[in-house]
Amino acid sequence: MKNFKFLMLLLPCIFIFAGTASAELTIKANHDNIKIDFFYHGSTVSVAGNADSGTDLIIKIASPEGHEILKQKGKVAGLLWMNTGTLNLGHVPGLYSIYSTKKIEDLLSRKEMDKYVIGYPALGRQIEMTPVSNEDEKSKWFNEFVKYKESSNLYTISSGKIMTTAKDGKQAYYILTGWPYQAPPGDYLVTVYAVKDKKVLEKAESKVSVEQVGIIKMLAGMAKNKAALYGIISIMAALAAGFGVGLIFRKGGGAH
Amino acid sequence: MYLYLPVALTSINIIIPVGLGLAVGLLSGLFGVGGGFLMTPLLIMFGIPSTVAAATDSNQIVAASTSGTYAHWKVGNVDFKMGVYLLIGGFIGGLFGVQAIKVLNATGNADFVIKMTYVLMLGIVGTYMLIESLNSMKKKKTEAVKTEKESGLTKFLKSLPFQTHFEKSGVTHSTLIPLLFGGFVGILAAIMGVGGGFLMVPVMVYILKMPMHVVVGTSLFQILFNCIEVTFLQAYTNHNVDFILAVLLLLGSTVGAQIGAVFGRKMKGEQLKIILAVIVLVVTVKIIFELTLTPSLLLSQAGGH
Repeated sequence: MKNFKFLMLLLPCIFIFAGTASAELTIKANHDNIKIDFFYHGSTVSVAGNADSGTDLIIKIASPEGHEILKQKGKVAGLLWMNTGTLNLGHVPGLYSIYSTKKIEDLLSRKEMDKYVIGYPALGRQIEMTPVSNEDEKSKWFNEFVKYKESSNLYTISSGKIMTTAKDGKQAYYILTGWPYQAPPGDYLVTVYAVKDKKVLEKAESKVSVEQVGIIKMLAGMAKNKAALYGIISIMAALAAGFGVGLIFRKGGGAH
Repeated sequence: MYLYLPVALTSINIIIPVGLGLAVGLLSGLFGVGGGFLMTPLLIMFGIPSTVAAATDSNQIVAASTSGTYAHWKVGNVDFKMGVYLLIGGFIGGLFGVQAIKVLNATGNADFVIKMTYVLMLGIVGTYMLIESLNSMKKKKTEAVKTEKESGLTKFLKSLPFQTHFEKSGVTHSTLIPLLFGGFVGILAAIMGVGGGFLMVPVMVYILKMPMHVVVGTSLFQILFNCIEVTFLQAYTNHNVDFILAVLLLLGSTVGAQIGAVFGRKMKGEQLKIILAVIVLVVTVKIIFELTLTPSLLLSQAGGH
């Protein structure tokens, strides 16, 4: 226990030391505090920094790993598509985006991809999935899961969109990404990896936080915490609107 | 213009819910159905999670049916007495239906039974209404009114105790009849997870023999109370009602229901029945296609429990 505590104290020092030793890779996520207000329709996030020249870069934006439960569709009686069960997924990020200067398969070895969870195959090997009986089934449902996430813009992998410019023997990088409105409130980790010879040399981290504000925050909070009152207000508003419109039409001469 | 929906956690162009509300509200005022069988799948198509779509739709129907009931009541087309009996029956039936779902879920093929019940009910109701109303239109053209032969069912209904006269509808029935059939629709509606307006309307027309225009008003009155109950339960237990989405929908649907009621007065009962039958059949075919064509996504959001 004592040893462990000591290690925990030491750990940040190692990172700081490692950081100062090279001090080449920096990262800054602009627009790091996204506010969801009444008119919110997604946002943009720019990620920029400096890196050693001669390295390739991979940027990963992901939410903390969590647990998801999804309904599975399958064929019943060889003819009809229906919900046939539920799929439980553990250690999955809700949002997962990878941007890189070149295709990640050309930049990293499989071992490194797995270590840093970069790319769908690495993510697939990390995820826990039940119920699946064999590897084939697991990879089939993982592919479906990626399709499901991509359909709401929560998972993306793309290469070649990071812009780099040479500067004082180093390179400055910059990328502007669209932030999907489907991404729920929470904290998201932005990591940049400097890569050379199929290995990660360095990484640096930043954060994007998304929060609800104003009327959206009030309504979302009320729906959860004051459910009875929220229900009654919703009903009252609907009744009032129905009567109101009825009266307007009567006055407007809609009746005969 | 886009607005963010705090419970659905998504953003939507306001033209979509207002337009959908207007269209479905129009059908509601015309035919006395809630329109959940149209609205819920459309909302899901536009990216609203399925559980939020169903719950928010019931909130919206409260507004549309208030507006519609009001419009029909002004011209004397709501049979409150009949409505109350049907409501009581429907409420009791709903309790049984919820139990039935629990049993189905335990056996593991709930989805199959629910989908099949839905398709069969829509198909039977749509086909029957279509054939019947086409026939009655033809008859009217060729010959004068033939005294209606009393069917076995009608005779049986007449022999039951507690006969009472429903003035607005101009029919006499045992009070057991609306209770029983209200209960029957309540059970099915709970199993299928829909309001059941498309079942209640034919029950009132063909079994209770009410005139079509009174059917529409009375059905809306009945739907209003059902949806108040469902909205409260959904908000209270599942936290699935999205207030902003409901407001956008009802902006369209309350106006649509008024327009529908005005149009409805200008149409004949048979015409209304034929159009409703066609809509119900189109929805049936759409569901059959969905069941047989390979879906683009094999995974979807699970319920919010």
